[in-house]
Amino acid sequence: MTSSTILRMKGIRKIFGTVVALDDVEFGLNSHEIHGLLGGNGAGKTTLMNILYGLYKPDAGETYLRDEKVDIKSPGDAINHGIGMVHQHFLQIDSYTVVENIVLGTPVRNRYALKLDEEEARIIELAERYGLKVEPRARITDLPMGARQRVEILKALYRGVDILILDEPTTNLTPQEVESLFQCLRGMAQEGLSVVLITHKLREVLRVCDRISVLRDGRSVFTIPREEATEEALVRGMVGEEVEVKTSLFFRTGEVGRDTVKVGERPILRVEKLQVIGPQGRPLVTDCSFEIREREIFGIAGVAGNGQQELAESLLGIRPIAGGNLWFDEASLAGARTRDLVEKGITYIPEDRLRDGFLPKANVAENLILGYHRQEPYSRRRFLNWKAIFGTARLLIGEYHIMPPNPAAMAADLSGGNIQRLMLARGFSRPAKLLVAHNPTRGLDIRSTEFVYSKLLEQREQGMASLLISDDLDELLLLCDRIATIYRGQIVGTLERGEFDKYELGRMMSGVMTRE
Amino acid sequence: MSELAVQPRHNVRFLVAGFVPYLLAVVAAFLAAGIFIAAMGFNVPEAYSSILFTSFRTPTAFIQTLLKFVPLMLMALGFAVPLKANKFNIGLEGQLILGAIGATAAGILLADLPAFLLLPMAILAGILFGALWAALPAWLLYRFNINEILTTVLMNFVAFSLMDYIATEVWGDPGAGHPTTIPIAPGAYMPLLVSSPPLNAGILIALLTAVVVYIYTNRTVSGYELGATGSNPRASMVYGINTRTMFLLSLIIGGALAGLAGAIEVTGVQHRLIEGMQSNYLQLGIIIGLIAKGNIRAIPLVAFFIAVLEVGASAMQRTMMIPVEIVFIVEALILIFILLADVIRRR
Amino acid sequence: MEGIGAQVVSLAKLVMLTMVPYVLASQGTMLAGRTGLFNVAQEGVMLVGASVAFLVAYLSGSLFYGLLAAALAGGLFGLALAYFTTTLKVNQFVIGLALFFTGLGLSTLLYKYVIGVTLQPPLIPTLGDVAIPGLSRIPFVGEILFDQNVLVYFAILLSIFLYYLLYRTSLGLELRAIGENPKAADSLGISIPIYRYVTAIVGGMLIGLAGAYLPMVYTGTFTAGIVKGRGWLAIALTFFGGWAPHLIFFGSLFFAGIEVLAFRVQVRGVAIPYQFLLMLPYVATMLIMIFASKRVGIPAALGLNYDRERRTLLD
Repeated sequence: MTSSTILRMKGIRKIFGTVVALDDVEFGLNSHEIHGLLGGNGAGKTTLMNILYGLYKPDAGETYLRDEKVDIKSPGDAINHGIGMVHQHFLQIDSYTVVENIVLGTPVRNRYALKLDEEEARIIELAERYGLKVEPRARITDLPMGARQRVEILKALYRGVDILILDEPTTNLTPQEVESLFQCLRGMAQEGLSVVLITHKLREVLRVCDRISVLRDGRSVFTIPREEATEEALVRGMVGEEVEVKTSLFFRTGEVGRDTVKVGERPILRVEKLQVIGPQGRPLVTDCSFEIREREIFGIAGVAGNGQQELAESLLGIRPIAGGNLWFDEASLAGARTRDLVEKGITYIPEDRLRDGFLPKANVAENLILGYHRQEPYSRRRFLNWKAIFGTARLLIGEYHIMPPNPAAMAADLSGGNIQRLMLARGFSRPAKLLVAHNPTRGLDIRSTEFVYSKLLEQREQGMASLLISDDLDELLLLCDRIATIYRGQIVGTLERGEFDKYELGRMMSGVMTRE
Repeated sequence: MSELAVQPRHNVRFLVAGFVPYLLAVVAAFLAAGIFIAAMGFNVPEAYSSILFTSFRTPTAFIQTLLKFVPLMLMALGFAVPLKANKFNIGLEGQLILGAIGATAAGILLADLPAFLLLPMAILAGILFGALWAALPAWLLYRFNINEILTTVLMNFVAFSLMDYIATEVWGDPGAGHPTTIPIAPGAYMPLLVSSPPLNAGILIALLTAVVVYIYTNRTVSGYELGATGSNPRASMVYGINTRTMFLLSLIIGGALAGLAGAIEVTGVQHRLIEGMQSNYLQLGIIIGLIAKGNIRAIPLVAFFIAVLEVGASAMQRTMMIPVEIVFIVEALILIFILLADVIRRR
Repeated sequence: MEGIGAQVVSLAKLVMLTMVPYVLASQGTMLAGRTGLFNVAQEGVMLVGASVAFLVAYLSGSLFYGLLAAALAGGLFGLALAYFTTTLKVNQFVIGLALFFTGLGLSTLLYKYVIGVTLQPPLIPTLGDVAIPGLSRIPFVGEILFDQNVLVYFAILLSIFLYYLLYRTSLGLELRAIGENPKAADSLGISIPIYRYVTAIVGGMLIGLAGAYLPMVYTGTFTAGIVKGRGWLAIALTFFGGWAPHLIFFGSLFFAGIEVLAFRVQVRGVAIPYQFLLMLPYVATMLIMIFASKRVGIPAALGLNYDRERRTLLD
């Protein structure tokens, strides 16, 4: 199993507007290897691979495939050169079958009658060879996440790629599915494929990668073989020297100063046998019951897609409730409208902050008041008070370091990072009794993540309770007073701080119930 | 969404940068049309002069321009308000017609009322009828999520037939050679600001309406919600805005504005319902709305400019036999060139 | 007995005749729409098609050249639509309306320029029926289906062809994928610009032909009101047909049926004022839209532009 250099990227530079996403980046890949591309959010890992895959054009730099210079101008080119990519958000046609998705864009034997038997047989053979179980005639909409990912991988393998790039592949998988994915990747590497694993999860790269390259702020930091890598070294590579690992919240593995704040006695939110039904009559949240006390940080752990989104939305009045009861601050929430809930003191940070919270055609100030625009001081009796709005906007812009510091700037002109800061600024701008936050730190760099944690704790001291729904177990273990697990729309167990056990939580997340 | 983009230190540069592309677009459009005119064998400078300056040559022409300006501006506003919510109100024509029908009906049926009651009733009837005509497609959007472009257009055709029916069967004037109703009662006539040539007070109502619309879209909570809905309906919904109601409201306001235009035409200019009174106000109203990019403050200016072009166009056809459609194409080209200018600016 | 049979046949024949512009314009709309391009300029394109067809036929004496010219003109409008939306990323509705206005002005302008003002509008001969030997002798069906003008045959064959193309070829698989998830299609090397340009141009040609049909089969003249809203109705029909060629065909038949019936009733002198009968097709369409709204089939990316380097689809 001799390995050779199969890919070299040199001097890669990419600028988006005024943001330098990649600056003189180098990346090398060997055959027969699983290569981890590690870095925090905004480090540039996905951008680099998007360039390799022809989705972006680099502003400078060269790529060499087997020592021959190549110019990859489109995904079609990349595929022709034997490069395949599995994106974080799967690129599939929901209404098509597995086979149709896999063969889409490839020369099909029976062009003029679309009988895909031959192709189907080839797919089944590939699937068996690499241990990727799929049902060829199934429609994508009917498949669970794990199966969909297998389809994405098969798409690349079907095209005979030598290089397979996976972008954050474990986000939506249970610990068990992650293990089976890694086994599959090891098998591919043995057969000679090169695998690039883009991730921000340290422990994963240490588990499965042969070599690890670290990117930070758009620059290459170093590349080391796994034997030489330690968690500490990788952390330093990812965050540099600016963040003091010892005092940082992000790298805490223990407790976070909670002696000063005591959880209240009175429940601020009570959820009893909540039921939310989905489009095809499927229950997405069922028999869900829990309670949050004043000033408590209550976490909900779970693999994405187990009802978290629907739960959050039903609490905010965005989704109708099919059954069960909700009480907020002693008052029933039955039939309450979102705007009333906001007024009563519930605040929401949605998971997809752009789709669910961003107004591109508005300016910064208008974005900051969304949801609160009916309240003083932003408005009085149906008329907006622009003076007060701009005043508050300037304060928030200062506190959250939003650039450019102009409340009248068009929000669409802001860079991605600034937009995220804008959304967070809004989320924490008003005192609230309950914060419902769904993956609030997803997509944020380490400094912003720190900021969110400190803001959360700060508002807790001022009386706010939080419902923290997160895919990131470490985050929950760091901040929460109690952690419940959601599985298939049901709360399957709650652990108090002191009893926190990562592996038990992992088991509950996979549906293995050990607690009643 | 917001027209409050305040750029403290670059006011002059900002203004210039804003106007220059518009100016270039107009020049380019005229040049293109000039080629056409020359190809057809007509005198280009004379044509240009007729198009651009006729409005300012005689008091009659100027008043005519103002009279055209009123419905054009109101129609453009009727397009711009729903546009804020990202809805395309193509039904302005039908809404205008229904507004005219409403005013005519009030003017004929309530003829005995004294003037200070009858005129406001006629105007209100026009606004109401226009709003109702938009309410049906608005409701179809609200209830069944049916695209409003289609339904509003269909309502236009129904309105044509309705107008024909009213102008021939219901209140038809047998003496007229063209489907027209009998005149409305003098009590419903709009007072004149200038008697010769006649300029009615409708222009005051129209300008006041523009101010009210501006205040609504830029300074009220409801106006904010309208703009937010157009910018990102999903996010607006997540943050408590009732977007479906906003869509409904935006179309009804659009209909009301077009209805007002129709009512002013009837009570101020023709004093009866004449079939075809809708002219090409729909197309021009939309063009104005799009050229102004939905900016409420820009609409009166653009509307006036288009009114000048239109008066010039008829003069040109009368005196030089050049088809008026040339000017219409100029207007469409201005829009297209402005779209191109936007693309270039983005790069 | 004979009388009713003959009446039914003549009615059915008329329906077949009437459905053609609807089929052509709707299929043209559908084709581009399936790649995500929402054309709203049909009314203007049909006017240009009608005007150009009439003028070229009048000047050259050949109906064939007239049809060709109309298709060409429609194709040019399609090209403009594709260029502005796919390459320049302009909002599809805005450019659609701009093209509608352009077509509106251009059609009348060309007519006035070529013909000028006349007391008696000039006429062109209309398309004659072409009977298919043998098949046209079949009782009832023969006359309805096989004794029509060439464009009727074209409309039928077109619909069959499009159905086959979209659902039974890999080309169709790729085409539809673009309308459903352009990013996915792009990531697999499918060229979105090529598909959008081609479908927009071909779709434009069909819409131009739909416009040409009106002077060439109905009236023999051109007037500014000749299209009478059929361009907009075509959009509604496309929705009603769930953006599927076979359903669009039957939907067009249904629609043509309503139009023919309304006319017949009007001619019969029924007590309802004729203006209300004229409203019937439009009201019917709105009712149809209510049923269509429940139907699946609208391409997910319809109306949205695609830019490879952007995270979301463009409004």
